[in-house]
Amino acid sequence: MRIIVHHATCQGHARCWAQAPDIFKLDDEGYILPGDINVAEGDELLASRGAQACPERALEIDRTAAALESVFIQSRV
Amino acid sequence: MASNPVPDHVPPEMVRDFSLFTSAGMLPTPNGDPHAAVACVHAGPPIFYSPYNTHNGRGTWVITRTRDQRRVLQDAETFSSHRSIFASVLGENWPMIPLELDPPAHGIFRSLLNPLFSPKRVMVLEPVVRERAIALIDRIAASGTSCDVMKDFAFPFTVNIFLGFLGLSDDRLDIFVGWANDLLHGDDVKRPAAARMIVAFIDELAAMRRKEPVADFMTFVVQAEVEGRPLTDEEVRGTGVLLFVAGLDTVAAAIGFDLAYLARNPKDQDLLRSEPDRIGFAAEELLRAYPTVQMIRVATKNIDFEGAPIRKGDYVSCATMIANRDPAEFKCPNTIDLAREDNRHAAFGYGPHRCLGSHLARREIVIGLEEWLARIPGFRIKEGMAPITYGGHVFGIENLILDWS
Ligand code: HEM
Ligand code: SF4
Repeated sequence: MRIIVHHATCQGHARCWAQAPDIFKLDDEGYILPGDINVAEGDELLASRGAQACPERALEIDRTAAALESVFIQSRV
Repeated sequence: MASNPVPDHVPPEMVRDFSLFTSAGMLPTPNGDPHAAVACVHAGPPIFYSPYNTHNGRGTWVITRTRDQRRVLQDAETFSSHRSIFASVLGENWPMIPLELDPPAHGIFRSLLNPLFSPKRVMVLEPVVRERAIALIDRIAASGTSCDVMKDFAFPFTVNIFLGFLGLSDDRLDIFVGWANDLLHGDDVKRPAAARMIVAFIDELAAMRRKEPVADFMTFVVQAEVEGRPLTDEEVRGTGVLLFVAGLDTVAAAIGFDLAYLARNPKDQDLLRSEPDRIGFAAEELLRAYPTVQMIRVATKNIDFEGAPIRKGDYVSCATMIANRDPAEFKCPNTIDLAREDNRHAAFGYGPHRCLGSHLARREIVIGLEEWLARIPGFRIKEGMAPITYGGHVFGIENLILDWS
């Protein structure tokens, strides 16, 4: 699973971070770091909870094959 | 109460007899429930026109659906925040910062202030906040089996934290509570008088910190630079005044509504007392059910919105108490479920003006509830006493007399 981060839409509510601080990393102002997030297999439930907590809808869950593959590749390097 | 005439471009069938200021339950009401009273708009259309919906009787469009409020609040180009609400009480015209600035100027000040209120920064402040809560509640517990939560806990607690930000001691606490009260509920004489005192106080404090810097918020503001220059006096004032008006009543009211709910719902009270881990989640649901702020935007151009002909200069209201009762967003919105999931409520707004103090406010509320429940045994509303609630620009609760004898 991958989380697509719409960085321009983030307004720093930090609700994602409140659910899963290790998955959703914030900058010094409290806004999410840019760049999509590849989610490790065991973290999927937590990550989707965090994504669903975003009041601005800045976090989109991507469960396509491509997303799975990118996680797979990441976990091997 | 005279209201301004409905503008010609508003179709008569879109006008509704509804107001956050004058509708039933909005004026001070014993045992009132202003949030439930406004929830009824969801039986109607997604947008309508309210002829009297600001302090001074201006009409506004009212956006009822959460999804549409998100759209309005995220689009600052079409829906501007430039209004001079506070300054207009004084017959002046300067913005509270960053509240009444639009992008891109808004972002410059917001970036300056964000690190001071970030989630990480709030974690550092937490011990002080908790210490204050404990000191106040211990005093209440030691002095009897009844108190007025607003006067004895909620206001002293939030004002104290505000004073801490400004590096000031507690001795002026009562004066501040009085100003905040007059500003919100005072008449046409008291309101401007309070506003003038607050401005004079902020100006004076800024001058003091310029001369002798200390480690506090005002010193940070007078020393800060934006775009390679220091802030102007007006910018320093606009920033200081906003901190005063934004953070006092809002948190105090939240604590008041939350404890009133728990006083009336002993099962939930017992649950949170025996399983304090649930308080964080519960506080979110109570923020959803009892939010306090109405946001107003000004249309910068003509736009047709869900069938409504919004014209340049029209006021558009996004009331968090309305968004948070939208059945399209929240299952059974009028039921309070302390374990509610997917709770993306609007209490702190949406878009670039998302409450700068939201992380601090959340900690204050959670810590307040944790320490209250840990120190005060089963409490209820004192017999014969009725908490007085009110609507308006910021919803609130005037008194909350609890009893645990
Ligand atoms: C439960 C308590 C609170 C609630 C419900 C609340 C609600 C809100 C809302 C809805 C807004 C958005 C206004 C708009 O978009 O026009 C806002 C903005 C703001 N709030 Fe809060 N607030 C709370 C506590 C605080 C505290 C404790 C502080 C300060 C320490 C604070 C400081 C601010 C500031 C500075 C802004 C302006 C942000 C901007 O325009 O970028 N608030 N608040
Ligand atoms: S919850 Fe949404 S808005 Fe908030 S920090 Fe996370 S991504 Fe940004």
